[in-house]
Amino acid sequence: MADKKVHDVVIVGAGPAALTAAIYTTREDIDTVLFERGVVGGLAAVTDQIDNYPGFAEGVTGLDLSEQLQKQAERFGAVIEYGEVTAIHDEGKTKRLETTSGDFHARAVLIATGSDYKKLGIPGEKEFYARGVHYCATCDGAFYRDKKLVVVGGGNSAVQETIFLTRFASHIDLLVRSTLKASDVLQHDLQKYVDAGKVTVHLGTTTDEIIGDDKNFVTKVIGTKDGKKTEFATDGVFVFVGLDPNSQFFKDTLRCDNIGFVLTDEHLQTSMPGVFAAGDIRSGATMQIASAAGEGATAALKLREYLEGRPLPVQDLV
Amino acid sequence: MVKNITIFTTNTCAYCAMVKRYLDTKSHQYEVVNLDEHPERQAEALQLSGSLTVPITVVTKEDDSKSVVVGYNLAKLVPALG
Repeated sequence: MADKKVHDVVIVGAGPAALTAAIYTTREDIDTVLFERGVVGGLAAVTDQIDNYPGFAEGVTGLDLSEQLQKQAERFGAVIEYGEVTAIHDEGKTKRLETTSGDFHARAVLIATGSDYKKLGIPGEKEFYARGVHYCATCDGAFYRDKKLVVVGGGNSAVQETIFLTRFASHIDLLVRSTLKASDVLQHDLQKYVDAGKVTVHLGTTTDEIIGDDKNFVTKVIGTKDGKKTEFATDGVFVFVGLDPNSQFFKDTLRCDNIGFVLTDEHLQTSMPGVFAAGDIRSGATMQIASAAGEGATAALKLREYLEGRPLPVQDLV
Repeated sequence: MVKNITIFTTNTCAYCAMVKRYLDTKSHQYEVVNLDEHPERQAEALQLSGSLTVPITVVTKEDDSKSVVVGYNLAKLVPALG
């Protein structure tokens, strides 16, 4: 429902950057509302195992980390609204946010909408979505016990989720367009499964088409290696080929880079005074959960300065 | 009126946790079918939803009519509970 109250801060998103910012603002009694259209925790929440977030000697599941971040923010009074922000308007001392729950008003806004897994854009991808084409291993991997899988991608997510999927699949073909870009640690872990015959890595292999049967389930993937068409028989395809910014509602309002990530200055402020950005959505972000949390903390301190009336003129955006 | 709600989930599914959290906030009771613990019920989940994905939420009304909501999709879940 629409809210005529002017909140101190509205945070768009509820991933690690957003929840960290909320922990900081609410601990200082700054009235804070978060909007989340998807899953609290963002992409971190659907990641099987996180081993590079400080403070967890044995690692932590993405779901557990997200739940702890949410509880911590709510403990200090953060309120999470489950809805979508569709537009932002600068009304001088306040910002007006159009949302699926009506208009919300805030003295300052933090954009922390993160990113989403990129699509391949090849024939068959859309047609067989959730009938063999997937973007969330922790959600859908359980449907592939003792079945063959293809995973597409060569970065950290692709390798991490390939390792996760080995607990279900009988064999995985990992199709990598160029070379593996995942961290050395992950590549080392992957090698154990390659040596055990559970995973075959196909470097320099493009993914061209996904084919299904007359029941609309995936049966094979067509790829190209060394100029030759190659078929990979499979029961399912998991795609992890990079990230797209969740910038739909502000890409025509705030200055963004040519991909759609929002530009900020040294204060993490965007081209609209009083609107800040942190985490994966920010141009130049390192796409790490730890750095997203750090940016969330920094943004909260800058929000406080802005709310206290200290001048924060928008600097050069980068 | 809602007669019962069944959610098909897995141990690691964040979107399943979101559905449960939403139903908890609205004080709805529900049964959970964990497909990691009951893989024999995967075929039932597929038959209900037509999709190889979770969460699948089945809302049964007093007149035994059923609504099936795939994913964490409040735009469909809220009317199904209405």
